[in-house]
Amino acid sequence: MGKLSPGTVLFAACAAVAHAQTQEELLHDGNGGSTDNVLTYGMGYHQQRYSPLKQINKNTVKRLVPVWALSLANEVGEQGQPLVYNGVMYVSNVRQTVAIDIATGRQIWATPIEWDPAAARVVCCGLSNRGVALYDGKVFVASIDAYLKALDAKTGKEIWKTKVAEWKEGYSITSAPTVVNGVLITGMTGGEYGVRGFLAGYHPATGSLLWRRYTTAGPGEKGHETWPAGDAYLRGGGSTWITGSYDPDLDLTYWGTSNGGPWDANWRPGDNLWVASVLALRPKTGQIVWHYQWTPAETYDYDGNNENVLADITVNGVKRKVLMHADRNGFLYVLDRTNGELLAGNPYVTVNWAERIDLATGRPVETQVAKRLRSGEKVELKPRWTGGKNWFPMAFNPNTGLLYFPMKEETAIYQINKERPAYKPGERYQGVENTTAPRAPGAAWGYYAALNPLTAKPKWRMPLVEFPMWSGMLATAGGLVFSGKLSGEFIAIDEDTGKIVWQFQTSSGINAQPITYTHNGRQYVTVLSGLGGGTSAKRETAGKIQPGGSVWTFALMPD
Amino acid sequence: MKRVKIILAASLAFAQPASAQDAFKPEQVRSGSETYARHCAPCHGPRLADPEGAPDLRKFPRDQRERFLTSVSKGKNSMPPWGDLLRPDEIEALWAYVATDGKN
Repeated sequence: MGKLSPGTVLFAACAAVAHAQTQEELLHDGNGGSTDNVLTYGMGYHQQRYSPLKQINKNTVKRLVPVWALSLANEVGEQGQPLVYNGVMYVSNVRQTVAIDIATGRQIWATPIEWDPAAARVVCCGLSNRGVALYDGKVFVASIDAYLKALDAKTGKEIWKTKVAEWKEGYSITSAPTVVNGVLITGMTGGEYGVRGFLAGYHPATGSLLWRRYTTAGPGEKGHETWPAGDAYLRGGGSTWITGSYDPDLDLTYWGTSNGGPWDANWRPGDNLWVASVLALRPKTGQIVWHYQWTPAETYDYDGNNENVLADITVNGVKRKVLMHADRNGFLYVLDRTNGELLAGNPYVTVNWAERIDLATGRPVETQVAKRLRSGEKVELKPRWTGGKNWFPMAFNPNTGLLYFPMKEETAIYQINKERPAYKPGERYQGVENTTAPRAPGAAWGYYAALNPLTAKPKWRMPLVEFPMWSGMLATAGGLVFSGKLSGEFIAIDEDTGKIVWQFQTSSGINAQPITYTHNGRQYVTVLSGLGGGTSAKRETAGKIQPGGSVWTFALMPD
Repeated sequence: MKRVKIILAASLAFAQPASAQDAFKPEQVRSGSETYARHCAPCHGPRLADPEGAPDLRKFPRDQRERFLTSVSKGKNSMPPWGDLLRPDEIEALWAYVATDGKN
């Protein structure tokens, strides 16, 4: 190094920034930061999936065209949300992580994700990878066999690899990791295999374990009294398969937990904390600061993992810091995210297992249907175990104050088995027989709707007739909400009317998560197309849609 | 293994579902139904009905026993391999259950 002019120093500093994305940038992602980047799962730590961009709006959307597409050579489904940093897009599925040049759509690097095919046995409901995390020049990605890896963002070369859990004991990872307050956090899955749920925090630079926080209360912990004597809590479920949101001011990260293990709660009498709950944790230590249980003594496979969207909204005339969550159990919840206080809990679909959520106790009031189900009778259960809403994330537009998401109105025929399910590591641990009640021909699968979070009342609803929807939502300041259909159309919906104002047929079904961003002043929208990642989508499309993963990117055609 | 070969030879010789069906013992079908309920039903549907995304095994060709055994053992498309978890006789029993629609 000889003499450097000030210009050279500045250039060098910029180059360093360009490849080492920081915690500061993460804090501002989707929160006043550069729209050139999408750095977090959910387009912001709040997971609102809202963008202030409006170049693509109700007037201009007719000029929206695909600018490039790239095959991902994957036939088992795309559920991922891409991230974008300095003109490079990072995409993952269960087979590989790919870096793409946004300007051209050409691959920069692709790194295979290798795993023992037998590990697919412990993924209950479809092979999925929902995305990566970016921090300090590294791309973090998890795998079906429960490993977490750091790749060099420039080259895709592996920097470190760590085993999060043993897949042969039922553990897997399908969710995107996240970096909050300097800690790399991953969830896990395996609620159908008698696992003990947990979250784990790692050092992003080295992959060394900082903490592991179990989601079933063990001996000596408050909440252990909600489990029977013995070791049921060790196989009690409570997996953490959707990436948590984060409030940097409160320094709390919010994660949902899955169904209990086995599904039949009679073998684990009690509320079973913290199964089917939301946990507010300190990212540095994993300490649980508060919890709220959506479904006490959960026995319906109503995982509580759906995203927890953070916003500041007016409740009874007072601005509150809230967390919004549409649970599989059919209720839409608004909690005070500083302390977990229940502010609202209303059904957004037909629910027959509970009459209502009691605001005084914070607990659901179960119906005769629930009592009959728990006693072993075969019952029709609404919503179906897959939920009024599943993992596909909703969007919140802070300007309209409304939530946008697709909902499902299916009915299960549900019966717990008489015999106690046998626990064997890495094997199914459910103890329930569940099928689907036939639907009347032409009956809607559910609705796509704009909902008031406090009342769950729709501003509008669009019936889903041909197939249900399994795609995430993206709201924009352009008055458009983007999503995708299982039949493959990428769609733009008018946020005021609920009418589809633009659509494009992609190469396969869409069950992923759209994003929007800018590059050289031009607004882009990207979504992955590729049916699958969830087995239900295959049932629902009944062989009518071809699988096969691709990335599709759209922008306005120049005048 | 010898038994497997004999059944295979019989299937090839006659290639008749009815002949194959005759070869299945009720205990074998029952054993297959238990394995099926534990490992297969979550995707292929309880008691072969109402599959959740995986192929409907009621439509699996009854003259393709070998393909069934290979697919279960080694995996196929989204289905993982089961050969390291289930014994050959357990997979054979699964075939007995599927080939008889569980009715034997």
